[in-house]
Amino acid sequence: MSTTERIGGVGAPRPVDPWAAAHTSTEFATLRQRFRGFVLPMTAFFLAWYFLYVLLAAFAPHYMATKVVGNVNIGLIFGLLQFVSTFAITTVYVRFASRNLDPLSSQIRERVEGGAW
Amino acid sequence: MPEQAGFYGAMVVIAAATMLTGLYGSKTSDFLVASRALGPRWNAAAISGEYLSAASFLGIAGLVLKGGVDALWYPVGFTAGYVALLLFVAAPLRRSGVYTLPDFAEARLGSVGLRRVCTVFVIVIGWLYLVPQMQGGGLTLHAVTGQPMWVGAAVVMVIVTLNIYTGWMRSITIVQAFQYWIKLTALAIPVFVLLIHNAGEDPGLRNSLGASAPPTFSHATDITLDHDVVLEVAAPMLVRAVGIEDGQRVNGIVPWGAGEHRVAKNTRLHFDAGSRAPVVRGAALDNDKWMRPLANGGHPLLATYSLIVALLLGTMGLPHVLGRYYTDPDGRAARRTTLLVLSLLGVFYLFPMVSGWLARLYVPELLVNGNTDAALLLLPRAALPGWPGLLLGGLIAAGAFAAFVSAATGLMVSIGGVLSTDVLPGRLRDFRAATAAAWSVPLAFVLAVSSLDLAQGVGLAFAVAASSICPMLVLGIWWRGLTDVGAVAGILAGGGLAFAAVLPAAAGVLSPGWQAMLAQPALFTVPLAFLTMVVVSNHTSDRVPADVSRILLRLHAPDRLGLSEDRDLDQLGARAGMAALPRMRGGRHRR
Repeated sequence: MSTTERIGGVGAPRPVDPWAAAHTSTEFATLRQRFRGFVLPMTAFFLAWYFLYVLLAAFAPHYMATKVVGNVNIGLIFGLLQFVSTFAITTVYVRFASRNLDPLSSQIRERVEGGAW
Repeated sequence: MPEQAGFYGAMVVIAAATMLTGLYGSKTSDFLVASRALGPRWNAAAISGEYLSAASFLGIAGLVLKGGVDALWYPVGFTAGYVALLLFVAAPLRRSGVYTLPDFAEARLGSVGLRRVCTVFVIVIGWLYLVPQMQGGGLTLHAVTGQPMWVGAAVVMVIVTLNIYTGWMRSITIVQAFQYWIKLTALAIPVFVLLIHNAGEDPGLRNSLGASAPPTFSHATDITLDHDVVLEVAAPMLVRAVGIEDGQRVNGIVPWGAGEHRVAKNTRLHFDAGSRAPVVRGAALDNDKWMRPLANGGHPLLATYSLIVALLLGTMGLPHVLGRYYTDPDGRAARRTTLLVLSLLGVFYLFPMVSGWLARLYVPELLVNGNTDAALLLLPRAALPGWPGLLLGGLIAAGAFAAFVSAATGLMVSIGGVLSTDVLPGRLRDFRAATAAAWSVPLAFVLAVSSLDLAQGVGLAFAVAASSICPMLVLGIWWRGLTDVGAVAGILAGGGLAFAAVLPAAAGVLSPGWQAMLAQPALFTVPLAFLTMVVVSNHTSDRVPADVSRILLRLHAPDRLGLSEDRDLDQLGARAGMAALPRMRGGRHRR
């Protein structure tokens, strides 16, 4: 193993497995932390929002039946808003991942590939 | 007949255009997972094209007609499932570099036994999902030409098989993308025309949906029942009936009291213009209840939660949806694809919902004979007199048929791919043989079963996927403690129980109470699957793969574009000793 790597110009033989080193690195810990910091609250929020609709429908039917415009009632608007929220959550996540997750994980990968670990 | 002319004309145009795009696309021949050069836009349209199946096209309109606002859960859940897929599995799965779910299972946990279990579930889920596609094909052809139901199912089967035999995955991506736009057009044009027509109607008719009364017949209607129904009547009324009602032969005008009435198959009913429509049991009786969520008792709270869980988590377990992500170049593109898919689906779902609402005004007879899935097919000719309605009906029917064909094609590619790599030995020829073999089960099912709503049939496939594949994926990607034994136990417990619950519901042999309980088991079987996986894994922790750190890092740190990624994969495959990767690299799918 070490012969080919020296010929390949990587330098001294590596004392540790780069994948294991990367996995225990602070960068990887930060990456996971950021991901969880976003995804867990977001998941809790969107589940709460969906379940709120069902709970309101079951326990506050008169509120849901309140007519807003013509035959359109609050229940129907709530239902359509579920679509909007789904789309909004996705947009926010895609932005978050591109800004905060991708740069960090590219960095980790470059270091693994470049033999920095 | 203008309707048949419209249907056949639109079919010929769709088929010709599909073949042309297929020819254009097949210049590059790469099988199963094609060159990753197509980009998120094509991919997103292809995913949407494949995803919008019988349930989306006909089923949702039928459910809205029957259940009103409650039916919104299906489209909301269908799209929300993509968010769960995006947040938890899309990018890591794409980075894993394997091509099918069984490959992922084997690469992550290094177990051939787990791979076999996953294979079985992928095939079963695919079959459950194929059944409503074939039923939809039968229904559509029946509505246009009057052919028996099995003819349409057989036609779907033949077209899909031809499509797969002649096409390659790259061309299939293009064809599927094209199919999305066909479906949208075939639905959007008639709905817009009908909305314009509706705006010019008598306001009394238009506003009747807010009234606390059942829907009414706008003109005299004769109905011949093609199966037994239980009808609910809100207020006493007179009906002209010839046939059998509540076990007694009737011929002439009979008074119907408020409550339930059992009417036998082949009974003919006549309703005068302006009379109120009785509705099949389970449908919303009053229009104002129809406009309110959970108001008609058809969907109790638990069943609704259960449905949400199944749709939210089942999407990530559908083999044909996941397969598409492998054609994205990297995790970032996979995320962009998902975002585009959501907008495409959101736009599409507006139309079945609006048509369900229109159907409540124009085709109340479907609430009497129970064939609510045909709402979209019959709506144009009921609302628009003369040839414009017939022509638009033909257009919708052709678009619906395209929907079944494209969804079934994606499913067959996944099932056939898994069958040929995992079950049958050999090369490409066996993929084709596998396709033929894979049809037998759903066809038998379609011939045996008829009475399930399309959207509910699809819901069963989602429930099984959510209780088997989803826990394995989520824990496999996010929890290093998962073991192969734990995964197998969880899949068998959750997925097996869901399947056992779903099968009698799909066969339609249950009483209504049990049907409501068993038809949507996800609320119980999904936690059961997760729990079993965690508990059993903790008891077999010595079986955690030694290279779990590498694999997890590989899943969570994105790759670069292009060639370096293939090098990485070879490196990873060799280092981690993943049996699947070198074999998959070996060229079977990459010639």
